[in-house]
Amino acid sequence: MSDDPDHGHHHPRPDSEVALRARALEALLVSKGLVSTDAVDAIIELYERDVGPKNGARVVARAWTDPAYRERLLADGTKAIAELGFGGAEADDLVAVANTATVHNVVVCTLCSCYPWAVLGLPPVWYKSLPYRARMVAEPRAVLRELGLELPDEVEVRVWDSSAEVRYLVVPMRPAGTDGLSEDALAALVTRDCMIGTGVPPTPGPAT
Amino acid sequence: MDGIHDLGGMHGFGAVVTPGGEAPYHQPWEPRVFALHVLTGLERLGAGPGGRATREQMDPASYLEASYYERWLWSAEQGLLRKGTIAPGEVEAMMERLAAGEPEPRRSDPDQAARAVARLREVVPLQPAERTRFASGQRVRVRRMRPAGHTRCPRYVRGAVGVVEHVRGADPLPDLATYGEDAPPEPVYAVAFRSDELWGPGEEPTWTVMLDLWESYLEEAV
Repeated sequence: MSDDPDHGHHHPRPDSEVALRARALEALLVSKGLVSTDAVDAIIELYERDVGPKNGARVVARAWTDPAYRERLLADGTKAIAELGFGGAEADDLVAVANTATVHNVVVCTLCSCYPWAVLGLPPVWYKSLPYRARMVAEPRAVLRELGLELPDEVEVRVWDSSAEVRYLVVPMRPAGTDGLSEDALAALVTRDCMIGTGVPPTPGPAT
Repeated sequence: MDGIHDLGGMHGFGAVVTPGGEAPYHQPWEPRVFALHVLTGLERLGAGPGGRATREQMDPASYLEASYYERWLWSAEQGLLRKGTIAPGEVEAMMERLAAGEPEPRRSDPDQAARAVARLREVVPLQPAERTRFASGQRVRVRRMRPAGHTRCPRYVRGAVGVVEHVRGADPLPDLATYGEDAPPEPVYAVAFRSDELWGPGEEPTWTVMLDLWESYLEEAV
């Protein structure tokens, strides 16, 4: 840590001042010729356009429709997502954990904000928030209830605190009444929260 | 270090669901700070421990007050200052110029953009573990410790007994490797802890907390 008090401690600032500081740091590195504006844009675009929960949803939908793929996914997540063209930063060691009728998995990072970028993109604000990080390991059902998920008492909750290098992808249970659905239609049921473990896919209503 | 970032089990932070909490960002500057931080890492423009270990060194009051990407902005600056890529005062001087209406400089470097995206798509898995002290199914106790530097062993699990479920692979101990110190790869274990072992009896039906822990953090449970 710097000994300079200006750098070791700072006070809360209005967002406009932080925004100005952020712009200034980018401008400084650009003016020094070290960083290019288009490289910054390319990284933002990568996670806004190409890498997001749609990737994870395709993985889950494939696991629902192809038992052999599901087995490969649960045995080696990194290799299995590579089959669908996914992989990269924050998923170098991906472990897929499957929900069952008796086990519900949910992921948190108490020390930081670790999250499987390559299959889920960047985490929502609440995942990185102090209350989620503080509470999920210590009162998971209360947190899940806040996020809209009520689980039967007999289901074992397994909370994965992803504080090392492994990143976790929750494979939700395939909802009842989805037998005739295509892989694409199934993927549309798989939300980001289902793959964090704070949600479950909706059961489609009867056709009207 | 036993800092404010080590939040597992703490009370008082309130509700998880807050307005605007569903998006990855609140403000337009936040994705730019994210990308800038990633880029300074990929292009080796910073020095010293990485962003994560740096953010852990924020003083606790500032850590709590700062927004998520404000912490990232801070850690990016610290790394750049340590390397001498930027000098003290330069960011503030640029802030004044921008505030006075000077336009932001732009620079194009398609090679840098392509390099960054390629690096973010690279996969670098853990090495396989060779000599393991513990086996799946074995009971282990997390060592009591109070490390002054970066660690991946949260406070809430220290002293607790759990059961090894898997050997994840081998990885240098972050407590040393973060600082560039010599750390041979060592086994990392997925260890299961019962909630009553961690927290005592509670209101909720017993649950399981899973943690990936380096061998150095563990000892045999007797």
